[in-house]
Amino acid sequence: MELSEEQIERYSRQIVLKEVGGIGQEKLLSSKITLIGLGALGSPVAYYLTAAGIGNLRIIDFDRVESSNLHRQILHYTNDIHRKKTYSAFQKLKLLNPDCDIEIINERITSSNSKELLKGSNFVIEGSDNIPTKMLTNDTCINLGIPFTIAGVLRFHGQIITVIPEKETACYRCVFGDVTIGDERMSCSQAGVIGLIPGVMGCLEANEAIKYILDIGDLIINRILYVDLLKYSFNFIDLYKNPDCLACKKDAIDLVEKSDYGRSNICQ
Amino acid sequence: MCPMTFVYTKLALEKLKTGEILEVLLDFRSAVKNVPENCKRQSLAELLDVRLVNPKKGAEEWELRLKKI
Ligand SMILES: [Zn+2]
Repeated sequence: MELSEEQIERYSRQIVLKEVGGIGQEKLLSSKITLIGLGALGSPVAYYLTAAGIGNLRIIDFDRVESSNLHRQILHYTNDIHRKKTYSAFQKLKLLNPDCDIEIINERITSSNSKELLKGSNFVIEGSDNIPTKMLTNDTCINLGIPFTIAGVLRFHGQIITVIPEKETACYRCVFGDVTIGDERMSCSQAGVIGLIPGVMGCLEANEAIKYILDIGDLIINRILYVDLLKYSFNFIDLYKNPDCLACKKDAIDLVEKSDYGRSNICQ
Repeated sequence: MCPMTFVYTKLALEKLKTGEILEVLLDFRSAVKNVPENCKRQSLAELLDVRLVNPKKGAEEWELRLKKI
């Protein structure tokens, strides 16, 4: 791959970095990342990955923009209300960087299509608003051996964890167990969320993807980062693989085919 | 202009093998100092020598020889 004059100019401020260079920029331009969810977490992820010159970004969402989304889902504008989030996102991202091949999937990710939708990705970013989708992403990526990051937000709090199946790092299910069965957690629409906590956490998710692609720095693996923007605390908690984890133990069955990822508790 | 002088030098150096020499022609005085400094800092190349190839006032040009690390 040869960088064009336009690309050298566009990416100059990151090519300058010791950790990136022309070689790193070419890695970014030839990488394929899948983003699940084009809401509050997905917005900054999509913006920054597109701006950084990720070659192929697959964006998945089935939802339409509502006015109550706008205080935190910065991909979408007032005149996007009622539009499909994928179309709204595509329009902004193409204007931001025509280099980036944006592939839109107007579907809800479920256990029957998750493997097909995530297959072939170099990295997956989970940015949905519900735990069943996070578990499904975890189980599917472990099954396919794809590295991924999952973040969650509530009120002024956020958390993020990255999993590298190849390195057998602790997974999301190791930590949160089987919460898909009859779990009635408070959803974000009831608890509320300040607009910029998903902004902060989404930026961290994008950073994880870029660092993984470039193979630089330290990832949030075998630990979870808790962020509290009220107290300004950023704390890592060490994690260990759960030997009985249904997703990542040695002879794990294919959970994606066996679980129903009950949707009763999904925050809509 | 900064940082493009360094960016183009860096891109060229990345394509070289250790020990190979890159000649860089610069027409911007502060780049003559900054480009080799950045190359050193990023362990890309070492400055061998600088030569003023065009001494004409206001249109000076320098040639730097950098050795890929
Ligand atoms: Zn696990």
